[in-house]
Amino acid sequence: MLITSTNIEEIVSAISNHVKDNSALISLGEHTEINIDELISKLNDAKVTFIGGLFPKVIHGNTILEKGIVINTLNDVESLFLIKDISKKNYQVPNMSFDNNHEYSLFTYVDGLTSNISHYLSELYEHYGMQTNYFGGGAGSLSLEQNPCVFNNDGFFQDAAVGCVMRMSSKIGVRHGWNKVDGPFIVTKAEGNVIKEINWKNPFQVYKEVVEAHSQKVFTDNNFFDIAKGYPFGIVKENAECIVRDPLMVNEKGELICVGELEDNTLVDILNGNQESLINAAEMAAQESVNQAQNPRKAIIIDCISRILFLEDSFHKELTAITQTIKRKYPDVSIGGALTLGEISSYGDGFLDFYNKTVVVGLFE
Amino acid sequence: MKIENHISDILQLYEFSMAIGKSLNYKESCDVFLKLILKRKNLNAAWILEYNENQITSRYSIPLGQEINHNPNPIVSELLNSIQESKIIDSNSIIEDISPIDIQNGTVAIFSLAEQGFLFLFSKKDNLKTKDLLQLQPVINKFSVGLKACKAFSEQQQLLNNLESRNQELSDYAHMVSHDLKSPLRSIDTLTSWLEEDYKEKFDKQGKQQLHLIRNSVEKMDTLINGILEYSTIAKNQIETYDVDVNTLIEDILKIIQVPNHITITTHELPIIKGDKYRLQQLFQNLIDNAILYNDKPIGTISIGANDKDGFWEFYISDNGKGIDNVYFDKIFKTFESLESNMSSTGIGLSIVKKIVNLYGGNIWLISKLNEGTTFYFTLKKH
Repeated sequence: MLITSTNIEEIVSAISNHVKDNSALISLGEHTEINIDELISKLNDAKVTFIGGLFPKVIHGNTILEKGIVINTLNDVESLFLIKDISKKNYQVPNMSFDNNHEYSLFTYVDGLTSNISHYLSELYEHYGMQTNYFGGGAGSLSLEQNPCVFNNDGFFQDAAVGCVMRMSSKIGVRHGWNKVDGPFIVTKAEGNVIKEINWKNPFQVYKEVVEAHSQKVFTDNNFFDIAKGYPFGIVKENAECIVRDPLMVNEKGELICVGELEDNTLVDILNGNQESLINAAEMAAQESVNQAQNPRKAIIIDCISRILFLEDSFHKELTAITQTIKRKYPDVSIGGALTLGEISSYGDGFLDFYNKTVVVGLFE
Repeated sequence: MKIENHISDILQLYEFSMAIGKSLNYKESCDVFLKLILKRKNLNAAWILEYNENQITSRYSIPLGQEINHNPNPIVSELLNSIQESKIIDSNSIIEDISPIDIQNGTVAIFSLAEQGFLFLFSKKDNLKTKDLLQLQPVINKFSVGLKACKAFSEQQQLLNNLESRNQELSDYAHMVSHDLKSPLRSIDTLTSWLEEDYKEKFDKQGKQQLHLIRNSVEKMDTLINGILEYSTIAKNQIETYDVDVNTLIEDILKIIQVPNHITITTHELPIIKGDKYRLQQLFQNLIDNAILYNDKPIGTISIGANDKDGFWEFYISDNGKGIDNVYFDKIFKTFESLESNMSSTGIGLSIVKKIVNLYGGNIWLISKLNEGTTFYFTLKKH
């Protein structure tokens, strides 16, 4: 359900009527003109349980919006949780007991601009393992300024994650469509999201050499992102697509600042994509989830905001490719989602990862 | 294309091998290495079992699972004994029996970790092949050496913790016993002084001598108890360090101890050092007391000085006394080891001295020649 009203009473009433006795997943466009603290307070008064996040844009059906509230019903909720201090690694993931006779799905929104997200995902996997599917994304503003961006009944937080475990089957497709240009290279020194050395050399020099040769463009003082948005790094992974890391800027030392963390000695390729490869990948992600699903009730799309920055006006083709693939087989399924700062899933049920520049399509049954 | 794949494999091995040995904590070490393998190879689980003929025990698992601690059945023993280096098998009821995690269909790679047990890697989607065994074997051998180091470190830490705790208990015990002994001793001292006063007319010469002996013994025991108390409290409180002028310190000591007329003490220019005045006084006073006590020459000389040795000061206290046979050089620093039966000697003074020097990160030693004299040297760090 999409809510465009900015009247809190109307919003609360709409959410309450929509989810009834279930919980709500609330995805908010970052320019929606409402007071989130007031929304939380009124939802508490109405005894609605919820988790949510603030995103650069939200998805409803075949539309993307900067303003608006997309509501998904969270059925068969086993547990809702809030984890604070993600960057400090100082938290406990709540204990859960899983029944082997049921399938479970875990949905989480995490502050996409905080550090140590990989540790959070690793903790989730360490505690819940293969007993659940994982799905979610990074919340936050396109300005890349860290502010409160995830919320639940307890309030509005930054450096935190909210989540929900549902006794529900989900089928997930993950793809990005970026292909190798050159590599592998070794990130010989990294700190958080900063690449300090590639192959024991200045990282920008290594990157520049490959990218300029392939793109036939020249980096100047102010065009780094214009070129780099088409040349992300890919962390080499066997039996699956690589994990994309997006170089955002270069600092005065020639270090590359990325969206998403890398560790020392990570093996990376330099990737490139085009409109066709990205849109095909998005369609494949949707197809992958559709092929596995049996009786889905809703679809949630988590698509990286940087794909819209790369595809620009053609982004609607990507969204259409996804929605049409779903609707072709399941015309009555409701489709919602968000354009996020990082995506969460487990490729082929493997270890949990935090992606960039990727599409994750989930069909929930 | 084939060469490119080989290069990728080798570089991936580099990434895996660099993740080994980043921590000496067993779990952290496993986390760093095994989570990386799970991520890069898109696997689902990993666990380590320690195994001998009588016992199979889980040491680590990701995701977390149930503890395994039971006797291995013959089929499990046969399987594990058959693994020289590594093996891939389809998940089956035998594996399920020795997995901390609930696994069903899939593939399991088992690697021998030599004395560290066996490592199991699990893939739900058939992502483990023979080439993975060949690729991972050398790096897993290195990982097993890392685990051995982790366990050795943990055992060493455990020993140190036990030692620290035993030392603390002993020190507390010495402190408590000393306090408890002082009370009856004070009573004996008071009673004997009353006896001495009230019955001085009735005691004969021998009686008076015996009473005097009792009071001397009480005094010696009091000194000994004070020594034990001091010894047990030296390392108990945090050392406050500030500038202490050793020249002034020695002057103060010489004002409070009795220096016999036939002994001359010469002090050379001494430095200002960082330390705690009370402990430094205990240190110098004990050594000066000894130099006086064991001086048997008609003209006794004691010399106190210091040498600047880069990062530390080397102090010396030299006398022309009886000297010490070199077979006793170590013994004299041990608690309650006195070389001769002397009413003034408790056998604890040099133990206190050594403990203080050690507390300041220094060393103490001596050179001595019988009938010619002794020089005690000790070092104290400058900072």
